[in-house]
Amino acid sequence: MTLPIVQAKDLSKWYGEVIGLNNFKIEVGAGITGMVGPNGSGKSTFFKLVTGTIHSNSGSLLVLGEKPWKNPSQLGRIGFCPDYDFLPADLSGRDYLRFAGGLHGMKGPSLQGRIDEVLQIVDMKGAADRKMGGYSKGMRQRMKIAGSFLSDPDLLLLDEPLTGTDPVVRRDIIDLIKTLNKDHGHDIIVSSHVLHEIERMTHQVALIYKGRAVASGDIDEIRHLMSDHPHNIVLEGEGMLKLAQSLLEKDFTVSLELSHDRRVLNIKVSRPDDFFDTIPTLMQECGCALERMESLDDDLESVFKYLVRW
Amino acid sequence: MRTEINLTGLRTMIVFSSKKLLINRRWMLVVLVAFLVGGVMGYAATEVEQNLSAASDLLNLLILFFFMPILALIYGASMIRNEIDDRSITPVITSPMDRRVSYLGYYLSLFLVLSVLLMAITTIGWACFFAVKGFDASALQLLWPYLVTVCLGAMVYGALFLVFGVVLRHPIYLGLVYVFVWEDFIGSIPGAIGEYTLRHHLMVVASSWVDYGEISTVTGEPIMSALTLIIITLTMLALGAWAFWNKEVP
Repeated sequence: MTLPIVQAKDLSKWYGEVIGLNNFKIEVGAGITGMVGPNGSGKSTFFKLVTGTIHSNSGSLLVLGEKPWKNPSQLGRIGFCPDYDFLPADLSGRDYLRFAGGLHGMKGPSLQGRIDEVLQIVDMKGAADRKMGGYSKGMRQRMKIAGSFLSDPDLLLLDEPLTGTDPVVRRDIIDLIKTLNKDHGHDIIVSSHVLHEIERMTHQVALIYKGRAVASGDIDEIRHLMSDHPHNIVLEGEGMLKLAQSLLEKDFTVSLELSHDRRVLNIKVSRPDDFFDTIPTLMQECGCALERMESLDDDLESVFKYLVRW
Repeated sequence: MRTEINLTGLRTMIVFSSKKLLINRRWMLVVLVAFLVGGVMGYAATEVEQNLSAASDLLNLLILFFFMPILALIYGASMIRNEIDDRSITPVITSPMDRRVSYLGYYLSLFLVLSVLLMAITTIGWACFFAVKGFDASALQLLWPYLVTVCLGAMVYGALFLVFGVVLRHPIYLGLVYVFVWEDFIGSIPGAIGEYTLRHHLMVVASSWVDYGEISTVTGEPIMSALTLIIITLTMLALGAWAFWNKEVP
């Protein structure tokens, strides 16, 4: 049986009165694992605990079978690309990689060779000798990722690597992450607050919300889990009263609320897929004219609230 | 393997941190200080009759008394603190280097850069003075003791203020209080209390080499003072390395 790469049990971390992680439990296996959660959910706190830059207040954490706090030798097996920008503006990309390599004990021709190889992989060879202050956001992200896998670590931690990048760069970085796993054999934990971005990299995800792992496993199962939970939907238009009466007869309707002017209908449904399948027929039967239909649960935050309640 | 990683990392840190300190925008402050010291000493040379004593007193006042602790504070207290605040410390704290060795890397870079800057400023002041008065062999006899003393100062003040940057969120405030209240004000009060300042010990050590000016009249045991400075430096280094090893960097 293969040991999990990262294993957290009842892990808690708080900063004063603010909770970063709360009884967090997770087991991460080999391959690419996506960590999805809204901003402030605890993803970065988790990465900091894994890299040992902070330590937990309670619980246990094992990374590659060892405790990470005050364990520098373990950091030789981990590459970390944080969500924030830390690259020195007055260093060239190549100098930064020399610096990062030197800190990992790399030197001489082998370091130079590895830098060239890494620059080739991230497609930054042409800009490597320019000062990083003049790099675009996408170039900086690539250089951060390059620094993280320069020492050929077993585990790569990529915290929000797609943030602030345009669609073309996003696609390239997603391809790069997949290549790093498939062709170069790195196990990767990558975080994002956008589920569909993670979906393009891996099917193995963990959902994290308010410091807790609310679900983990195959993305299809999690999507199914989400669709089984009540959704709030707003309908606006003419003939809403009749539509409300029809909807009340349906067993997927949990609750209904009609505005005073009878133009806006707030409905909570237990099976959103059934609701969306039925609504065109109901509208036809009631003769109502719909001007707006909006699911309030489209944002990740509300989806997570459902999962937490569940 | 661990030793090799730490040694390569240490060398890398010294190279990159020294470069970072030198190309920092603070070089403008250093140039300004050098101009000021050079200008004051050049002007004083035209006004005083005694050559060596006057030059010694001016170097003592300008460098040992004022600019040495101030520059050490500005460079030392902000070195690690700024990296924590702007998060450029990330590659260091997520590398397999032992953090205590990383701390030593920061210290050695600081010591090297401070020594070079202070020696350059001292030499400029000295050169401006004797350019007016005329260079001779005794002028050189005044220069080298001050150059050695500023290196000793860089060693001990650097170690002290680097700890401030690791332990305190706003190290500059305590640093200013230390320099102006403890070193300058308390250190100037007559009596034994002045002996508890770093400046006093530096002056005692320097008094064994300098035969001119007020500094040559400072009483004390140079060997004991040198030992005191070394012990304080090592204690501060050990304290800083321990604090850095135990520090959470959120």
